[in-house]
Formats: sequence, C-alpha cells, structure tokens
Amino acid sequence: MFLARVVGVVWSTVKWQELEGVKLLLVRPYTLDALAGRGEPTSDAVVAADCYGAGPGEDVVVAYGHAARVSLEPDLPEDARPSIPVDAAVVAIVDRFSVNPDPEESARSSHGD
Amino acid sequence: MIRGRIIGEVWATRKHPAMAGRKLVMVEVIRAAEQEGGSGRGVPTGEVVVAIDTLDAAPGQEVLVSWGSGARNAVSPRGRGTVLADAAVSVVLAEVFEKTW
Repeated sequence: MFLARVVGVVWSTVKWQELEGVKLLLVRPYTLDALAGRGEPTSDAVVAADCYGAGPGEDVVVAYGHAARVSLEPDLPEDARPSIPVDAAVVAIVDRFSVNPDPEESARSSHGD
Repeated sequence: MIRGRIIGEVWATRKHPAMAGRKLVMVEVIRAAEQEGGSGRGVPTGEVVVAIDTLDAAPGQEVLVSWGSGARNAVSPRGRGTVLADAAVSVVLAEVFEKTW
C-alpha cells in the first residue's frame, strides 16, 4: 500500500462491465520529503479505483493486487475470489497521519537536493 | 520482502470493514549499501510504503515488510475470512549484517 493525494478524476466510457459505476481517481504517491512538509507529492501518478467517494485534495491509502480487488467488492462472500479487473484501489480515506523521521537521518545526503 | 524503518502512522475512519482495527504504519524503504564495508545501516531511499502492522512495531524500529499473499498470511495466519492486505510488517529487525562481495 502507499499513501497518496487525490489529484484528479478519470472518466471512461468503454470499459469492462465489472467497472461500471466504479470511480477512477488519479492519485500521486507521497515521498518522505512531501510527508515531512518539504514539498508536494512528486512521484508519478497512479490510477486507482475508488468506492469510498474520495475527492481531489484528499489523502488516501491505495492498495495493489488482491487487496485492491477485495476493497471494491464489499459484499464478497468469505474466501471467494474477487473478479473485478483492477490492480490498484483506494482502501481507506486518511483522517490524519503522523510522520517522525529519525532526527539522525536528517543529515543524510540522499535528500540533499 | 523489503527492509524499512517505521516513520509514522496513518489513521482512517472511512475504510473497508476488513481493515477495521488494523494498525497502519508508514515505512521508509531502506536499500542495501552499494559499496563495500557497509555498516549494516543500509541506505534510506525516501520512498514510503504503508503496511499493516500486527507486531506493534515502534517508530524508528527497522522491519521487514512482506507483499501479496505473504502479507495476507501475516495478517490472517490461518487464511480464513476476507483479508485485505497487500503489505504487512512480518519481521521486526534486531540487527542486520551487511557485506558486499
């Protein structure tokens, strides 16, 4: 999973039937620098399906793979295999998060620029 | 599995029921040192992943995060019920020995 900010919405008319009514969001994963208040999320954007109603500007947790498909099928019988053709989905809308990078790491060179 | 360090926690009320009661932690990915004579501390990458933590790891601790069905097994060892996990803390590290051959 990763923490990301919703930056846009994707519309599509031609898609698999299972995706009817599923909202597609454009999200941008946070890096440590962005989390620590040193700038905006800068990674490449990812398209994630959403059934929780997240909107642009909100922070979300996005899961990949099986967890993403389970998230989109809330009424899935126990132990059943999800069948929706999706590999990334919002699994939680973030209320708040805490970040406490180790102080001794602040001197590291890999984030100097 | 990937090596990382706990740097924070995430709270959410709007989420899948299978996530209820699960602790979500933020982990900064650490890669191995590329040069010989690594100290065992690795190199922090700035890349952050979110993982379910069933071992109650503390901020600053180093952990191993497993992915996919490995993560689901860490969250639900008997594999029963609807499990929603693609990343989970499965090991809290005590010490890492690093050597480049």
